[in-house]
Amino acid sequence: MEKLLKKAINIKDHLNEQYIEVARDDFRDACRYLWNEKDAILRLMFAVDERSISGSFKVHAVFSIPGMDRFFIIVLSLQEPVRPAHGPELVEGDDLSFPSLTVDIPAAHWYEREIRDMFGLNPQDHPDPRRLVFHESFPARSYPLRKDWAITDSDAKEWGEGMAEKEPYRFMQVEGEGIYEIPVGPVHAGIIEPGHFRFSAVGETIFFLEPRLFYTHKGTEKLFESFGFEDGVNLAERVSGTSSFSHSAAYCMAVERMMGVHLTEKAEAARTLLLEMERLYNHIGDIGNLCAGTGLTVGYARGAVIKEKLMQLNQRVTGSRYLRGVNLIGGISKEIFPHSDHIRSTLDIVTKEYKGLMKLLLGTVSHIERLENTGVLSREIARKLGATGVSARASGIPDDIRHAHPHLFYDRLDFEANTMAAGDVLARMMVRTADLECSISIIRTILDGRYQGENAAGTRAIPPFAASLGYTEGPRGSIFYWVMADHAGGVFRVKLRSPSFCNWPVVPFAVHGNIVPDFPLCNKSFNLSYSGCDM
Amino acid sequence: MAYFQFLIILLLSPLLNGFIKKLKAMMQGRVGPVLLQPYYDLIRLFSKEMVLSRVTSWIFKAAPFIVFASTLVASMMVPVITTDSSFGMMGDVIAFIYILAAGRFFMALAGLDAGTAFGGEGSSREMTVAILVEPMMMLCLFTAAISAGSTNIARIAETQRLLYSPSHILALSAFIVAIIAETGRIPVDNPDTHLELTMIHEGMILEYSGPHLALMEWAHYMKQMLLFTLTMDIFFPLGIATDTGLFSLAFSLVIFILKMLLMGFLMAWVESSRAKIRFFQLPSLLEGAFVLAFLSLLTYIMMGK
Repeated sequence: MEKLLKKAINIKDHLNEQYIEVARDDFRDACRYLWNEKDAILRLMFAVDERSISGSFKVHAVFSIPGMDRFFIIVLSLQEPVRPAHGPELVEGDDLSFPSLTVDIPAAHWYEREIRDMFGLNPQDHPDPRRLVFHESFPARSYPLRKDWAITDSDAKEWGEGMAEKEPYRFMQVEGEGIYEIPVGPVHAGIIEPGHFRFSAVGETIFFLEPRLFYTHKGTEKLFESFGFEDGVNLAERVSGTSSFSHSAAYCMAVERMMGVHLTEKAEAARTLLLEMERLYNHIGDIGNLCAGTGLTVGYARGAVIKEKLMQLNQRVTGSRYLRGVNLIGGISKEIFPHSDHIRSTLDIVTKEYKGLMKLLLGTVSHIERLENTGVLSREIARKLGATGVSARASGIPDDIRHAHPHLFYDRLDFEANTMAAGDVLARMMVRTADLECSISIIRTILDGRYQGENAAGTRAIPPFAASLGYTEGPRGSIFYWVMADHAGGVFRVKLRSPSFCNWPVVPFAVHGNIVPDFPLCNKSFNLSYSGCDM
Repeated sequence: MAYFQFLIILLLSPLLNGFIKKLKAMMQGRVGPVLLQPYYDLIRLFSKEMVLSRVTSWIFKAAPFIVFASTLVASMMVPVITTDSSFGMMGDVIAFIYILAAGRFFMALAGLDAGTAFGGEGSSREMTVAILVEPMMMLCLFTAAISAGSTNIARIAETQRLLYSPSHILALSAFIVAIIAETGRIPVDNPDTHLELTMIHEGMILEYSGPHLALMEWAHYMKQMLLFTLTMDIFFPLGIATDTGLFSLAFSLVIFILKMLLMGFLMAWVESSRAKIRFFQLPSLLEGAFVLAFLSLLTYIMMGK
């Protein structure tokens, strides 16, 4: 670690974040050191266009080491190549580039492709030269997250031409006897968002699967830049419907850390309570949804009934089924604790019904038999591709942000990071049940306490160029926000990383060797959000 | 009048499907669609326009009519409320099974014809299931036919002597499994799923719309009721009229309706109490049933009952 710090050009500490700026040649080594030697987890990776501030682009790779409540953020500055006054014209290869981490740290693969699409910074030696976020119709050499980005006439014209003139996206081709391709989507039966799946199957057995997502990319990060910090909460709530509260809590936390605002005990308790209530209704819904995958209709219906009761509870307590409109920068906007009795009595009913449901599910051999050994995600793949949340814990990686980086009330609560070793659909279901019981006991513990203070602590001015991380453990896994202010205390850059962005790439590995009709079941067990990915 | 008993199947089969749907909904704690919903669906589909893929051939357009017609012909061969009539000689079990198979053959062709992945998958799976189910059905029917001394369904129904004998119970168990597979129900297929990748029967007809789809659906309802009726004719003919007297027909009709409700209840219960089996384990289920069917034949030959 000392060696790493010695090589640093610049070190900056902010709460539990340590920004270590390194030279271009040391970037890969520094990250590799953390990944290999310290077993660090790559939390997120992003770029910032700081040309107006420091004259350079900055690439950040955020790591955290298990057992240490500290973020190590390796920063690399990239200067735009300057063409000498009488030198040769710049050519393609002179684009801004940075050393790709993907070969050593596979978890970086999507982040780097995203940076290339959004900033035009080229990850050198990245094994996959294709675009990730933007599809063929998006103009080439148009990089929306650059500060000087504008839609030019030629871009508009290119959009008008549509797909016809473009080089089509190349899916991975599998060749061999008896291999045939099954294209599925992007439009599916049922009410879900768009995503294309290209199966290469041998008979019914899946040999290879390539998902293609980002059909409804919403440009959320760019949109954040045009909002004030306060309005950003509304946007964060709408990134992914069923994780509304976790997203807005993470966003608020980032902004509060920038301001140096500390929440009151009461606000902390309420936020923790609502985070767990969000986890509760999601996990119940997911467990029920697995039954739709196996055709166990009664289990599905009963799961939906319990979920509905919890959502009605949300509505009654906060006025929103999806817990929206509660989070504020500096606290919460609603009184939660007067509803304690109602929450308790609903929990009693839900606990009883949930126990009955689990008895039914675990007692139905035909259901459990379908879940066992289906969609196995190995620990190695989960670690290498940076899976998060339930998907990681069901494969034996004890990563839970609530433990790893305690925030809000979590350091004062007694609970476990639930893991399973098997990595199959059943393991993911069992991790959810363990999490769920954990959430119920956390909610009860919080309701038993008495808390001091106001609901909202108020806000403070944000120092120029302040930046901070915000994070929560959402129902699907860890959620990260990195927010940076400009010279006047406005929003300069918001990077958000939803758990689905980490977990989508592991699905093809989990379904390999399974049969095509089992894909929906595997997919449901990960419960990934399209919207949380198409941000 | 007895010649028109197939009209009962033609007209009441959507109601039976509505009844099963309603029962399933109640078992799930839902209100469910009204009993007459299948009729509304058919009326709605018949009044809609059809969307045909550019790559389809005549097979795609002809298949709904062939499937519907073959099911209709099969339903003329089965005694519904009386064994008298039924187009006499025509009511042969072997012909019955293969007339239905002709419909299935064209449905599978149509699934392939549109050139979509799901249609092809559905057809391939349907044929896999058919290969396993058809011999088993034949074996069950042979047991009944040998004991009755005739392959004519009406004669079997009249002379059914197997009631409650060991071979009868074995054959019936196997036949129930065959019916579940043939009607595309859980644990073999899931009729209510929207997951294209798991479909069998629904996969084959995924490209159909409007009146074509209506014919396919209607044929499927009829096939379901037809197989229920066949089960009753062969294994529980009790109460079926052997003449065409008005009173005995009326009595037989009541008994028939009760039998159908019983079968519907059985199907809804099976579907609600278990999950769909993994596709590659289907052969074990169906082979198990095949063994039962085979044992029933052996039992009959060795024990004579």
